[in-house]
Amino acid sequence: MTARLLAGLAAAALLPALLALLPVLHLAPNRLVTGAPVMASDALGAWLWPVVALAALGPALLVAGQGRASAALAGLACLAALALLLLGLGAGAADLIAGKPPATRARLASGAWIGLIMLAGVAALTAGRARLPGAGFTAAAAVAAVLAGLWCSGSLDALSLAVELRIRSDSLGTAFRDHLALTFGALGLAACVTGGLALWRRGRGTVELVVSGVQVVPAVALLGGLVAAISALLAAAPALRGYGISALGSGPALLGIAAYLLLPLWRGQEAARRATDPDTLDAGRALGLTAGQILTTIRLPLGAPLFVGGLRVAVVQALGLATLGALVGAGGLGTLVFDGMAQFAPDLILLGALPIIVLALAAEGTLGSLEAALRRRWPR
Amino acid sequence: MRPVPPALGPLLLGSALAAASHPAIAARLGAGGAQRPLATGRLAALALNHLVLAATGLAIVAVLGIGLGLIATRPRFAAFRAGIDSLAALAQAVPPVVVVALALPVLGFGGPPTLLALVAYGIMPTLRGTVGALDAVTVEARERAQALGLTPAQILASIELPLAAAGLVDTLRTALVLAVSVTAVGALAGASTLGTPIVAGLQNQNIVAMLQGALATASLAFLGDAALLALGARLRRA
Repeated sequence: MTARLLAGLAAAALLPALLALLPVLHLAPNRLVTGAPVMASDALGAWLWPVVALAALGPALLVAGQGRASAALAGLACLAALALLLLGLGAGAADLIAGKPPATRARLASGAWIGLIMLAGVAALTAGRARLPGAGFTAAAAVAAVLAGLWCSGSLDALSLAVELRIRSDSLGTAFRDHLALTFGALGLAACVTGGLALWRRGRGTVELVVSGVQVVPAVALLGGLVAAISALLAAAPALRGYGISALGSGPALLGIAAYLLLPLWRGQEAARRATDPDTLDAGRALGLTAGQILTTIRLPLGAPLFVGGLRVAVVQALGLATLGALVGAGGLGTLVFDGMAQFAPDLILLGALPIIVLALAAEGTLGSLEAALRRRWPR
Repeated sequence: MRPVPPALGPLLLGSALAAASHPAIAARLGAGGAQRPLATGRLAALALNHLVLAATGLAIVAVLGIGLGLIATRPRFAAFRAGIDSLAALAQAVPPVVVVALALPVLGFGGPPTLLALVAYGIMPTLRGTVGALDAVTVEARERAQALGLTPAQILASIELPLAAAGLVDTLRTALVLAVSVTAVGALAGASTLGTPIVAGLQNQNIVAMLQGALATASLAFLGDAALLALGARLRRA
């Protein structure tokens, strides 16, 4: 009992200590410099004490409390703390940049980032503890709803990320669509190749060797090599240019990304194929099942979770690798990231990086829970 | 007939790629575009820098990843296992380019953001691999050692680690390939590695330098893989 209380007290002290020690905002004269740190006591103003109280209450209840009711209460406290912290930061940023030149930026600093991430993480943990249906999704939806509500009410408009987003909303939209097109294009290409290779029964050993050999080649090197190879090809046969083949652009990016996706997809389908042992198949045939019935009643249920597991790894990898597509001029969210790195503009880097992280986490979460659901539906 | 050692394939491939990255050969391979091959000395300096950065990252990742893996497999920490698995999945979802990019404003240009990305991206797979390798040690082996009266530390040193050694080397192989790959990405943050000629070559259409960088990076990855494969084969025989 005492140990539980002590742990609860420590959990309660964590976030307030963080807010007391680390700056929550940086006030910079323009978008390219880091600027002067602003502490929570100056930035949050009247919001400080409600935020601190709720941020202490949530984690403390999660650690020290027992049962679903206290977990649900902890989750609500975390969500409220998250909302109030963002509201306070938005208001503080508006106060800080009021009356300053228009280039002035108020940027979220380390304390704010760590605080926001920890509050969202604790909210996710409480959703699991409260045994809500689809705990992760419920928590993610709640956090997204808080963000959307604050965004629509305009209370975040003074933060530098929102300013950058307003300037770049068009190019962000294009980059987002390009990113998804690259990801799913490469996924489709890799799936077709894997399907073809799966039919080549005798070459399994060779395929395994080549497909895992590709993984050793660093992605930057493969993309560079592909561009070099295609431009050598075009120099040897200039007529190919007429068919729209070019050394830069989405061609090498699609090929390069697809090459890395072969391994997870190949392993997934191999595992799914091996999941049914010959005895089970014999038993099915002896019962008089047709080939189609064997596929739907034996092979698919046994193999599906394993294949979805491979697909999950492939989708997450594809979303990350598509970032590098911008290197060879294929567009995508990497364009914003690399532009931001070249200009040393943190807001632009974040504008490209945050959607990539959110997309990858969403893919991981969705396909991961599909995998788990398939396993529950057909236990082995 | 003696079986072919598994390290032979990557060794030969790595040496061939290294030879192909020599300016004379690469200039022949990469026709078209600008022809400004990197001199051998510059390429060797970049390779050495790449190697030092990747090796430092790998050493940190190995110590932290295997160390945390050893802690996580102790019975009293069994409750954290599910947490480690989901944390590893989440950490893998953030691509290394993004880690490098996010670390850039905080740590500045060059080596530090690359090293951070190396550690951030490599540690969870190593931790998960270590846990997997130690889990593969059978309960019977542990119980037999316990029955002989060995202390937990003795069981770890003389039963668990030797039995898990091959699995640990496989984990390190994955970490090494990741380290070489992430170090190449570090060129985007201004670290001078073998990724530098690739990135610069893409920007100013210097196809030969790009090809040299790509071949040399791939060669480094295959040679490192060969070294660890040979180590793993030795440990399996011992």
